[in-house]
Amino acid sequence: MRSSTKILSAIVSAAFFSAAFSWIASAQTYSTKPPTAADWSALAKLPDFSGVWERGGGGGAAGAGGAARGNAAPAAAAGAPAAPRGGAAAPPRGGNPAAPAAGAPARGAGGGAGAGAGAGGGRGGGGMSLTPEYDAKRRAYQANPPEDTQASNCLPPGMPGIMTQPYPMEFLLSPGKVTIVIEAYTQVRHIYTDGRKLPEDPDPRFFGTSIGRWEGDTLVVDTVGFSPQTLLAAGVPHSDKMRILERFRLTDPDTMSIETTITDPEALTAPYTTTSSLRRHRNWTIAEYICEENNRNGVDDTGKVKINTGISAGGTTPKKD
Amino acid sequence: MKTNMKRTLLSAIVAAGLIAAVAGTAMAHHSFSAFNTTDTKTVTGTVKKIEWTNPHIWIYIDVPNDKGGSDTYGFEGMSPNYLERRDWTRTTLKLGDKITVSFNPLKNGDNGGMFRNGKLSNGKVLTMNGAQ
Repeated sequence: MRSSTKILSAIVSAAFFSAAFSWIASAQTYSTKPPTAADWSALAKLPDFSGVWERGGGGGAAGAGGAARGNAAPAAAAGAPAAPRGGAAAPPRGGNPAAPAAGAPARGAGGGAGAGAGAGGGRGGGGMSLTPEYDAKRRAYQANPPEDTQASNCLPPGMPGIMTQPYPMEFLLSPGKVTIVIEAYTQVRHIYTDGRKLPEDPDPRFFGTSIGRWEGDTLVVDTVGFSPQTLLAAGVPHSDKMRILERFRLTDPDTMSIETTITDPEALTAPYTTTSSLRRHRNWTIAEYICEENNRNGVDDTGKVKINTGISAGGTTPKKD
Repeated sequence: MKTNMKRTLLSAIVAAGLIAAVAGTAMAHHSFSAFNTTDTKTVTGTVKKIEWTNPHIWIYIDVPNDKGGSDTYGFEGMSPNYLERRDWTRTTLKLGDKITVSFNPLKNGDNGGMFRNGKLSNGKVLTMNGAQ
């Protein structure tokens, strides 16, 4: 008796799960073709994006004397601490001290590219021309900025902020796809280069939905459909019409330029373009970054910081092991 | 003499730039709201505990107090990922090492703060931007 009930419930749950999964499968409307040997060899003709890249000059060459140590670089990458508070009011933060060293081209649109990663936005918004509605949102944020953002609770910033972290990323090219492995928050971007079209009504996601194509030596990535939890700039939301176009190309053997253009007809009065530069580090590997491993920082729902130092006032043994 | 002063001034400027730079770096994960960045304190003690973890390392040291005992101070630094690429590895600092730490104090009154730099008795200098 009991065992027949068990069997029945197993059958019911198996049916349920197979139904659920077939529904998910049917939601994936695009089937990839099995790659051929020719598809794999075609990759060799593309620009060499392989390896690990970091914004700006990057760190020292571990074990190699550190000759290329670029101290100022990560700063430029992450932006200044003041940026999330007053990204718009502050002067443009485009002045990337590392840029000349890294051979980066001058910035186009008044900077802002590096600022405010901590705010989850990734861009300070300097030089960004907001519509009155979104400018009001920015002003409201600036009038009463939180002490910190959900990033301090380990919520990844998503796009576009995830591309401006002071941690490296790795580009993997395979037939029909470019995968960007991002060390910060252990993230991955999936960019389909197999000719599929962007969805007309994409599910909102932290990274949006991306397709890419090669225009000569430039990888052009078009992304739509972003989660409302990602930000256009510090404290500035985007509409569901935000679209991000990125152009990746090598400007010298170990330097990659990324030109990012954000359009959002509801939030921006004009496209917002920034250019940043990545440096390749052949002797680096992507490291693990589990933000929840030992996060002693954080904010509550009102944006007030609640740091857990592991020490009580006056100084005693750390509370947390 | 004049050259020396110039050099000192220059290095002060460079240091200020570096601090601003590193402050920016840490922003990737969180703001500096928990710390008083306009104040820098220095204490000397013995390394009691090292948390070589993401998203930030924490270093605890015991600092002798005027009651004949010691107080524990905790310091937040950059991440292992970031530091290991800049010559500060998991084994650079060891339990029992004597270290002098400069830091931006915590606003909540706990002993410790944001690690700015640490000088070891062997002359090694640890900063938020790695080991020198």
